Amino acid sequence: MKRVVIALAAGAAAIIVVALAGVATGHRDLLLILLRGSLGSQFALEGTLLKAVPLLLTGLSVALAFRAGVWNIGGEGQFIAGALAAFIASPLGVVAALLAAMLAGALWASIASLMRLWRNAPEVLTTILLNFIAIHLLGWCVNGPLQEPSGQYPQSDVAIASLPSLGATELHLGVVLAVLAAIAAWFLLYRTAEGLRLRATGLNPHAARGAGINIRAQIVRAMALSGAMAGLGGGIELLGVTHRLFEGFASGYGYSGIAVALLAGLHPLATIISSTFFGALVTGAGELQRSANISAQVATLGQALVILALALFGRYRAHD
Amino acid sequence: MIDVIAQALPLAVVASTPLLLAVEGETVVERSGIINLGIEGMMLTAAMTAVVAAQLTGSAVAGFAGGIAGALCIGALFGLFTIVRRADQIVTGTAVNLLALGLTGFAWRELEQRDLFTRSVPRITFDVIVPAAWIIVPIALAIMLWNTSFGLRLRACGENPEAVRASGSSVDAHRWIALIIESVLAGIGGAYLALALSSGFAENMTAGRGFIALSIVIFGRWKLKGALLGTAVFGATAAIQYALQATSRGVPFHLLLAAPYVVTLLILCGIAGRVRAPESLGK
Repeated sequence: MKRVVIALAAGAAAIIVVALAGVATGHRDLLLILLRGSLGSQFALEGTLLKAVPLLLTGLSVALAFRAGVWNIGGEGQFIAGALAAFIASPLGVVAALLAAMLAGALWASIASLMRLWRNAPEVLTTILLNFIAIHLLGWCVNGPLQEPSGQYPQSDVAIASLPSLGATELHLGVVLAVLAAIAAWFLLYRTAEGLRLRATGLNPHAARGAGINIRAQIVRAMALSGAMAGLGGGIELLGVTHRLFEGFASGYGYSGIAVALLAGLHPLATIISSTFFGALVTGAGELQRSANISAQVATLGQALVILALALFGRYRAHD
Repeated sequence: MIDVIAQALPLAVVASTPLLLAVEGETVVERSGIINLGIEGMMLTAAMTAVVAAQLTGSAVAGFAGGIAGALCIGALFGLFTIVRRADQIVTGTAVNLLALGLTGFAWRELEQRDLFTRSVPRITFDVIVPAAWIIVPIALAIMLWNTSFGLRLRACGENPEAVRASGSSVDAHRWIALIIESVLAGIGGAYLALALSSGFAENMTAGRGFIALSIVIFGRWKLKGALLGTAVFGATAAIQYALQATSRGVPFHLLLAAPYVVTLLILCGIAGRVRAPESLGK
């Protein structure tokens, strides 16, 4: 209960500081535009839910990794790897494309976990470096081998497969898939032996080793699971929303996942709520940029403030 | 090809100067037992405050002072969380990076719309930063860390803080001083990036230099000799990259952009298995 209160307070504090930043710069209506742009109409609400989907999946990715005590800051790179694989596999159908996305995300994350096991390279740095490599790899793809045939724009062709939309809305099946992924992550963590081992590894690696858990193998599996979630996020974003690859495809979803997961206290089901909150913030910030010419980076600012508030009051530790 | 690389080398030395300053600062702070992942955000903030200060005063010196002030603000925030509140260093560092990205993005757009900047960014006329970063700062920091009792205590904070406490010294005070040293160096680095290497501020212009610096600290085994060597190796590969870009021999431009991060990753893998970090780093 106390943790729920702290989470709500952190979210509220971030919004208040953002609103104050608006007042200080002469945008008194910042909060109003933020609300209108994220919740004020059916279009805005659909936008919020659409943004919440990639945030939910990168949030789950971070939650799984942090639960195991692994610092996966590489959601951004794994998200891109997933989208690239989904694009390449899309001629085989939407199911194959999503599976390819998960596999690619898992493999990209595994580079970091294997480097940690073999060379003792800290994953907190290798995952970040892999983000930059993925970003430039994507840049090369959409300017080279995967560029649209006309060769005019730095983007790919439209992917062959796509996720079906839900009724007469902008929403797509990925919304359902993301919620199912959250339930699956909850089931894995709290209802399976694998989940118990994963959490034990994060809580106290020494005790876990004493209990007979193979820590090294557990870290590799947790990292692969985490990467698969972020990869799935990239695949769903491609097949449900953008349908094309382009530079700046991930636009910070990977890093935002850290704020999503921490606000949810690393709980998969609470991640559904926190991703909707940040989805609203991102969507509202987009409206701020369009209608009031205020930088959409306000959303990034909000995410940072939430994490800081949690670190200050929640005494956040990696594994709790 | 060789002569093209030779031509690119001086450029690489200048271009890796902000990186070197960050590596030196992070080496000091990690020796005191703190890992500051937020150095990326520290440099980014410094780059913006440096440009703002330089624009408002028309003086490059004031620009560097502004950069240092901006980095000190971030350093104070990081210290408040990690030293005073004992918040997790990785989580705080990540938050600081997001904060710097969001705050500079927001503030820069606001400033640009207000026509505050009528003059062009002042350029530095006599470059003292490069020799300072490559010669004076590393010698001074090495003497401080290994030839003074203050440096011994600072390193002890990173290895065995209990022993420092038992001897009657304040671990927190040493870590604050280390953080201030890092902030000043990262501030100069960020200012140099914006005022000397570029002609102004651009969103996210540090482009991961802070993370590369964190990796080079490990490559350099938390020593200043290693910091110089690591940055030099990195700068040399950057020179090859510039040369390849200039001659455009086959390698696509976007893959060349990925090269610094691939090199850093390989450096990290090549060396990390064989080094020992300060015992209490990050705790």
